[in-house]
Amino acid sequence: MADAMSSMAINGRSEPLQASALGPTRWAWLLLPGSIFLVVLFIVPLVGLLLLSLGMPDWTLANFIRIGNNPAYLAVLRTTLEISVSVTALAFVLGYPIAYALTTGGSALRTFLLIAVVLPYFTSVLARTFAWVVLLGRNGVINSILLELGWTSQPITMLYNRFGVILGMTHIVMPLMILPMYTVMSSIDQRLLRAARANGASPLAAFLTVFLPLSLPGLIAGVLLVFIYCLGFYITPALMGGLSDLTITMEISSQVVDQLNWSFGSALSMVLLVAVLTVLWIGSRFFPVEQLLGFSDAKSGSDTITRRQVGTQWLMRVGAAANVLDRWLPSMGGQGVPALASILAVLLLLPVLIVAYLSLSASSYFVFPLPGYSLRNYQAYLSDTLWLRATFTSIRVALMAAGMATVLGSMLAFGLSRGRIPGRGAIVALVLSPIIMPTVVVAVATYFLLVRVGLQGTEFGLALGHAVHAIPYVVVIVVANLRDLNPTYERAARSLGAGPVATFRTIIAPLVMPALVVAGFFAFLASFDDVVYVLFLGIGKITTLPMRMWEGIRQDINPTIAAVATLQMLFAGIVIMIGAMLGQRKENT
Amino acid sequence: MLMRAKLSGTDVRTGGIALHKLQKRYGSAMAVDDVSLSISPGEFISLLGPSGSGKTTTLMMIAGFELPDSGQVLLDGNDITHLPPHRRELGVIFQNYALFPHMTVAENVAYPLRMRRMAKPEVETRVRRVLDQVHLGALASRRPHQMSGGQQQRVAIARALVFDPPVLLLDEPLGALDKKLREHLRGEIKTLHKEVGKTMIYVTHDQDEALAMSDRVAVMHEGRIRQVSAPEDIYRRPADLFVAGFVGEVNFIPAKLLSGIAYGPAGEKLPAAPWPDADRDATVCVRPEHLRLHAKASAAEGVQGHIVGRTFIGDATILEFRADSGLQLTSKVLNISVETTPQIGAACVASWAATDATILTE
Repeated sequence: MADAMSSMAINGRSEPLQASALGPTRWAWLLLPGSIFLVVLFIVPLVGLLLLSLGMPDWTLANFIRIGNNPAYLAVLRTTLEISVSVTALAFVLGYPIAYALTTGGSALRTFLLIAVVLPYFTSVLARTFAWVVLLGRNGVINSILLELGWTSQPITMLYNRFGVILGMTHIVMPLMILPMYTVMSSIDQRLLRAARANGASPLAAFLTVFLPLSLPGLIAGVLLVFIYCLGFYITPALMGGLSDLTITMEISSQVVDQLNWSFGSALSMVLLVAVLTVLWIGSRFFPVEQLLGFSDAKSGSDTITRRQVGTQWLMRVGAAANVLDRWLPSMGGQGVPALASILAVLLLLPVLIVAYLSLSASSYFVFPLPGYSLRNYQAYLSDTLWLRATFTSIRVALMAAGMATVLGSMLAFGLSRGRIPGRGAIVALVLSPIIMPTVVVAVATYFLLVRVGLQGTEFGLALGHAVHAIPYVVVIVVANLRDLNPTYERAARSLGAGPVATFRTIIAPLVMPALVVAGFFAFLASFDDVVYVLFLGIGKITTLPMRMWEGIRQDINPTIAAVATLQMLFAGIVIMIGAMLGQRKENT
Repeated sequence: MLMRAKLSGTDVRTGGIALHKLQKRYGSAMAVDDVSLSISPGEFISLLGPSGSGKTTTLMMIAGFELPDSGQVLLDGNDITHLPPHRRELGVIFQNYALFPHMTVAENVAYPLRMRRMAKPEVETRVRRVLDQVHLGALASRRPHQMSGGQQQRVAIARALVFDPPVLLLDEPLGALDKKLREHLRGEIKTLHKEVGKTMIYVTHDQDEALAMSDRVAVMHEGRIRQVSAPEDIYRRPADLFVAGFVGEVNFIPAKLLSGIAYGPAGEKLPAAPWPDADRDATVCVRPEHLRLHAKASAAEGVQGHIVGRTFIGDATILEFRADSGLQLTSKVLNISVETTPQIGAACVASWAATDATILTE
């Protein structure tokens, strides 16, 4: 199950795609609908955003000059950068041991670590942020414990300041840091480490001279992904930050939503977009960006390793020095890293588990520890028409979005896997961009487009936005599955007398169906958990479940939210289980 | 010379290895069960067995990557059972070579010397010398993935030789190569062994490799050593049914030993050396190339039956023979002369020289 979960989380393996060698060009027609959809709903809005920021039709750079001249905006940029750098560094330091143990540990440890990484990953950002608000608040869990133990006489301020933002964001980005590192690390041949040991390298020297340099692409990928994500992060800074922790995404939101200053909001969005693209561009020199997003293609992974000219001479010097240290280093019998990784993994799971615990409270206020257990929070949720109406709205929107994303995404996946057309790389970039571009920017751009056609504040308009966001997930999952679908099956069917339609019906469809189901579920989840698009596209008229949670967290922290968040996590857990089971069934047959 | 003094005890490192009652258990399965073996300095010994026989686990215990549950590994009389691998000074050549992909050939070969903090000029001299020795001097700046399998294999050998360890451990080093190349490299390794005179412990599941290269072969099965002998002994005088069946082709003929004479399933007398011990059931083993099929007229002592299959394989013809008792036997006849082999359906008597039969009782 562990392996199935990991391959669903990120499909960075890099076997060559055999299908592309024989794909008839007819398959390429499948690329058309999805590409048009993305051009209209993703490229056009971003171009519009660019034009708006330039003051179209009166071309001007005034907006950008204003950002450059005003210390307040420069401070916002600096804050964003400071937070992003701190979070990325922290996530790297904490994530590396987990990824390392995930690769080298025993199977029980690996399963536990994978659950600890993947479960939070698929729990909505909002639910996890809520967990931290509950943990860090004045009357929160941590303060309750500290007061109870007498370690402090009055509550410590941990929320609504830089500390809280960094802590919460780090927790949320950890899976994004760990999964790419894990993908690369697990492709390292463990025998190389043995070879190093046999050639006289101590464990530390073997790690430094062999494992670390070979895991470098994964480190770069993780750091890059997390840094980009942090730059465009909105939910957690907005909910956990103080007044002095204004980030660029919050400023964009305030300009567009509160001050209705669209052209200035567009200019800020452009600044963010350019920053992200610059980081991506730098990163792509070290690592193929599409692999970063789990889209593995014909390119072989070993090329990326050898393309890196690691300073081997320097490495050997480090290794030799480490060898000398070996005699003085305390030996922990190889248990040091697994123990550290386990502790970190528990910390990763803890916030999620505490929310589930608090949801069972018998009190209508947050009290820790619980005065008693009851399901009153769940009853409160189920008997509140506003919560229920929000839930049904969410389901309607998510069904629409998942339907569109699954159909268009799987067509794109087939076209990309089997079709051969010039400019394929551009289509891959187009398809994957929506998950790497800052959600706030895409949402703002989409909002401006929807306003022009009068779809703002409609559930269909919102579903269109969500579908753009979900298509990359669908494509990544289905492409990974098609890569395993050996074209010789189809040739065998054809040689046995099946026509093209019969081949599709009897061979391709049954083999791909599990992947389509899983992709559909994840598309549903992506829409169901989103709050950023709702904030912009819903213009206050649409209240989805996350939207109600968002408002709840901002206004009054009430335990009903804990129940809703727990249900959300359960739902995500079920989706992961189904995905893992379908993956496993495929492996067994 | 290099770093040898670091190993405690005597400084004489000739490369004698002794395994003393090694045991290793994975869960309930015995991976290595009571393995004792004494290997002389300079000897070429193969651990031969099917997968799961414990041969690789045994090698990994010698290399230090697996800890035995009990027993000892001795190198030149010093107990190294618990010494970490990097302080053992044993050269290991891994399956699939395990060359570092991020380093050039020269850097790979320099690695063990650099880890031992040898001075740079000396490292360069040594690397050049050993690369020339394996005929790779011109490819020093290539990376492993730019080389053929055979070349990678030579790099792996160079890397293991460069720090002059007294013992080389080879874990199925030719497994990933095609047949022709394998036979060629087999010869090269053998020549190398003669040149450098190091102790070599060679793990393989390929009986031809083991027979062709080794001074002695240790046949392993289910974690135990079943027989340790020179290749000829293993083939001609297998110690038990497993060894007889695993090394080379063999015909097993169920027999009864009565008053020193072997009788076949139909009560016929089988050619075999006189059995000195008490009467009992046994198996008579005869290699296909020793089994002769005569026309029925010649009243040779042996098994009656007829030919049911005939396969021409170039240098020889394989004849399938069914005895009247139902027993299936195989005979291999070298195609030396144009003399015709019997055709399918021909009635024959299968026999062999008494000295070519091995009687096994288990």
